[in-house]
Amino acid sequence: MNSNDFIIKIDSLNKSFGKIKALDNLNLEIKKGELLGIIGPNGAGKTTAIRITSCILQPDSGDILIDDMSIHSDQIKIKSMIGYLPEEPNLYERFKARDLLKYFAELYGVPKDRIEDRINELLKLVNMSHRADDRINTFSKGLRQRIGIARALIHDPKIIIFDEPTMGLDPATAHNIREFIRSLKGEKTIILCTHYMDEADSLCDRVAILNQGKIIDMGTPEYLKSKIHGDIILELKVRNPNNNDADLIRGFDSVEGVNIKGNLFLISLKSKKDIRGIINVFNNDILSVNTMEPTLEDVFIQTVK
Amino acid sequence: MKFITIAEWEFKETLKSKKFLIIFCLQISMLFLMIFVFNAFAVNIQSDKGVSITPSLSGFASLDIDDQGHLFTKYINPSLINVQSSDYNNSLQNLNNGEITGFVQVPSDSLNSIRNIDTINVKLYLDYNDPKRSVIRDEVNSTVNIMATAISNSWINSLIPQNTTQIAVNQQSTGQSLQIQILTNAMLAILLFLPLFFFGNMIIDSVVGEKERKTGEILMAMPISPSQIILGKILAVEGVIAIQIAFWMIILFIMGFKFADPILIYILVIITALPILGVTTIISAYSKNYKEAGIGITISYIGVVGVLIIPALTYLSIKSLASNISPMTMVMRIFSGETIPFWQYFIPIVFIFLVTILTYWISIKLFERDDIFFGPRPRLIRLFLELIRFKKNVK
Repeated sequence: MNSNDFIIKIDSLNKSFGKIKALDNLNLEIKKGELLGIIGPNGAGKTTAIRITSCILQPDSGDILIDDMSIHSDQIKIKSMIGYLPEEPNLYERFKARDLLKYFAELYGVPKDRIEDRINELLKLVNMSHRADDRINTFSKGLRQRIGIARALIHDPKIIIFDEPTMGLDPATAHNIREFIRSLKGEKTIILCTHYMDEADSLCDRVAILNQGKIIDMGTPEYLKSKIHGDIILELKVRNPNNNDADLIRGFDSVEGVNIKGNLFLISLKSKKDIRGIINVFNNDILSVNTMEPTLEDVFIQTVK
Repeated sequence: MKFITIAEWEFKETLKSKKFLIIFCLQISMLFLMIFVFNAFAVNIQSDKGVSITPSLSGFASLDIDDQGHLFTKYINPSLINVQSSDYNNSLQNLNNGEITGFVQVPSDSLNSIRNIDTINVKLYLDYNDPKRSVIRDEVNSTVNIMATAISNSWINSLIPQNTTQIAVNQQSTGQSLQIQILTNAMLAILLFLPLFFFGNMIIDSVVGEKERKTGEILMAMPISPSQIILGKILAVEGVIAIQIAFWMIILFIMGFKFADPILIYILVIITALPILGVTTIISAYSKNYKEAGIGITISYIGVVGVLIIPALTYLSIKSLASNISPMTMVMRIFSGETIPFWQYFIPIVFIFLVTILTYWISIKLFERDDIFFGPRPRLIRLFLELIRFKKNVK
């Protein structure tokens, strides 16, 4: 891949808070139009990494190049290219939704004759036109999040950074926001920090797993899932489980691992070709058969364990 | 010029806020109360008639004068002392009844005594139960001095017939007694500068509020430098102060306070707000929450009040040039109608300008540090050493 395809290049980034090392020599490259998910346990350094990328925090060492501009020398230009939505949709409570968007549009330097149109366009996009003239302090968390998204997009940024955008929202609102993020895919470069593995799995082109300030694995969701568990998990409930059966199963070519939980056999397979043979091992002792694909959550738990 | 956008929005939203309007009304009520306290103090010294809503000090004390030659009456300051002509017996009776504070008796043959170059014995009787007696005593002493100077000059001139220059004695040149100066000039100046200390909470709300409400994170992500954010916030509060001070000065006028050069006084008061806002912003930028900022501002304002008032009070007694670093001194001098050389106006202005630059510089330096905004905050000593570049900033 040509290095010019990357719009964000994070190079040897380090950041500590007192004695706590939040980022430890972090390196990462993000392509133009890519949606990169960052997952990791609490305190892994996700928020720190995106705050530095948004030029809110200063790194102790290392650099980030955004469109070939350094965060050390071109902060104002970089900030104009980024739309940042923090974890909590903290907005100025006393403002009306429309006024808030106008305020930020002016701060971002959106041309005055474009502001009203842009606000109406975004309010429609986040389905908030009917509440445009209400004060923020009358909004639920979901509505605030929608206004927060509109605020982050007001200046039509090239890069959008979402920090836990669906955290604490009801399933319907979370679904709407996910669909909205999906609609931006390809058009914008997006970084999505999330705790929801299914969200990362369904939305992201690539996922980076961050732990203790380092990227411990990165790739497409499919790649990460196959790397940990294989392609398929075969779940067999049997009448009389024993270890000899487990040894017999391990002898099949496609078997990557066997895990026994009571009378339940969880068998990781590279392919489906040996399923019939494995079932035959148990003769008539099988109570139920189930096949599952591994989830990103399985990958996450295995990786950060 | 993004700071203008910030200032404009903050100013607009502040004026629209119901909370601000309530605080504004409470502040004005409090200032009204100060007038009543000030006035009640003056009126209670004067009589026991109760509270008056005319706070000027005219007729502050009553004095009977038995002066048939009208020598003394000519020179006494009638704006402060309620003077009435009387004779010895009536005046003593008035003094015993507590209707007057003092009685001055000037001998009826004083003009002859002057011609014969004799001494004139002016007698002063005071009511020692009345606390205003010291004001009367000082005023009578002052008047006697003026009178003596005028008569002496007149006599000297009469010895030189070709000298036709009229003797002009300026009452103000000798000054009022210290007590009266404190009451009229210092108290009025304090009343004018007092509202400047009501706006600390606005800066706390504007700066610390960004941390408490966590809105600062999105503000920091804007393509604006920390200096523009700070300037915008200060400018918004300065705008509100300008309105409130104008409002307050109009009220003082209506309540009977009169002062020369109101525009000059207004400008001096308004620019005094700048370093006070700078100090408040330093504390707000460093503070983690409202409580911490509140404590910091309470302590720092004691110092700020000292810097304003102490030079002003010093000027009343020793009139040193250095006292003019306080804009309050300058305002007091304007109140007293003093002729102030133009260059002396630059003393408080330069002082304000320097303190403003220093405090804004420190505020901006603090605001742009992410460790202060997001924590963990460095200790004050370390921070100070880093600010003066004694210690390298290790983030």
